Amino acid sequence: MVPMENYLILSAIVFSLGVYGVLARRNAVLVLMSVELMLNAVSLNFIAFATYLDPDRILGAIFAVFVITVAAAEVGLALAIVIRLFRSRSTSNVDEAAILKW
Amino acid sequence: MATEVLWWIFAVAIVVTSAGVVLSGSVIHSAIWLILSLAGIGAMYLFLTVEFLALVQFLIYGGAVTVLILLALMLTRMGAGGKPDRVTGGQAPFAALVGAGLFVVLFGVVIGTDWGDVPDAPSNIPIEAISDVLFREFGAPFVIASVLLLVALVGAIILARQEEGD
Repeated sequence: MVPMENYLILSAIVFSLGVYGVLARRNAVLVLMSVELMLNAVSLNFIAFATYLDPDRILGAIFAVFVITVAAAEVGLALAIVIRLFRSRSTSNVDEAAILKW
Repeated sequence: MATEVLWWIFAVAIVVTSAGVVLSGSVIHSAIWLILSLAGIGAMYLFLTVEFLALVQFLIYGGAVTVLILLALMLTRMGAGGKPDRVTGGQAPFAALVGAGLFVVLFGVVIGTDWGDVPDAPSNIPIEAISDVLFREFGAPFVIASVLLLVALVGAIILARQEEGD
C-alpha cells in the first residue's frame, strides 16, 4: 500500500503550487482558485493523518468537513465581491484594485 | 500492487492539473484544470477509504464551487473588443521562488520527521462513525457552520445585487 509520506508530499506539492498561484496571478478569480487548491491540500493532509495516525480515525475527517464548509462560504462571498468590483471599476485584476492602498 | 499503480497515476494527474490551474494562460482553461484537480483529490479520499468525503468533494467542489467560479468568470470578462488580459503579473518569478522555497521546507519536514509507528495501509473510516462524532461531539460547531453558510449566502446576495443608479 501507499505509505503516508506520499500523501504528505503530494499535498505539499499542491499547496506550494497554490501559494505560487496566489502570489503570481493578477485575476482575482484565479487567485481564488489557487486558494481552493491550498485548502484542498490541507484537507488531504488532515485525512491522511486521520486514517494513518489517529487511533480514533475521525477528527481529521471532521476537520475536512468544516474546511469544505468554510471554503464554500468563502467562494460565494469572494465571487460576489469580485463581481461587485468588476461592475464598479470594470476590472477583476487585483493589482488595479488598489484604492485601499496609500 | 494495482492500487499502488493507480495511486501514482492519480498523484501525477493531480500535480499536472494543479500546475495547469496556476500556469494556464486562459482563465477558462484554469477553471477546467481546477475541476480535474479537485476530482483527483476526491479520488485520493477514496484511496484513504473516506468515501463520505470523496462524495462531498465531488458534489460540492466538482459541482457547486466550480460552476460558481465559471459563472463569475463569464460575468467578469472584458468586452469583446478588448485584447485578452495578461493573467500573470510581473512578480511571478518571486512567487515561484516563494513557492519552491516553501515546497523545499515542507519536503524536508515530511522526510526528516520521525512519524513513529505508521501502519502500512490506511484504516477504514465508516460513515456512521463520522456522523456520530459530527452530530454529538461537534454539534455546536456544526450549527455554527450552518449559520455561517446562511450569513455568507445573504451577504453574497446583498453584495452582488444590482442597486438603483449603480
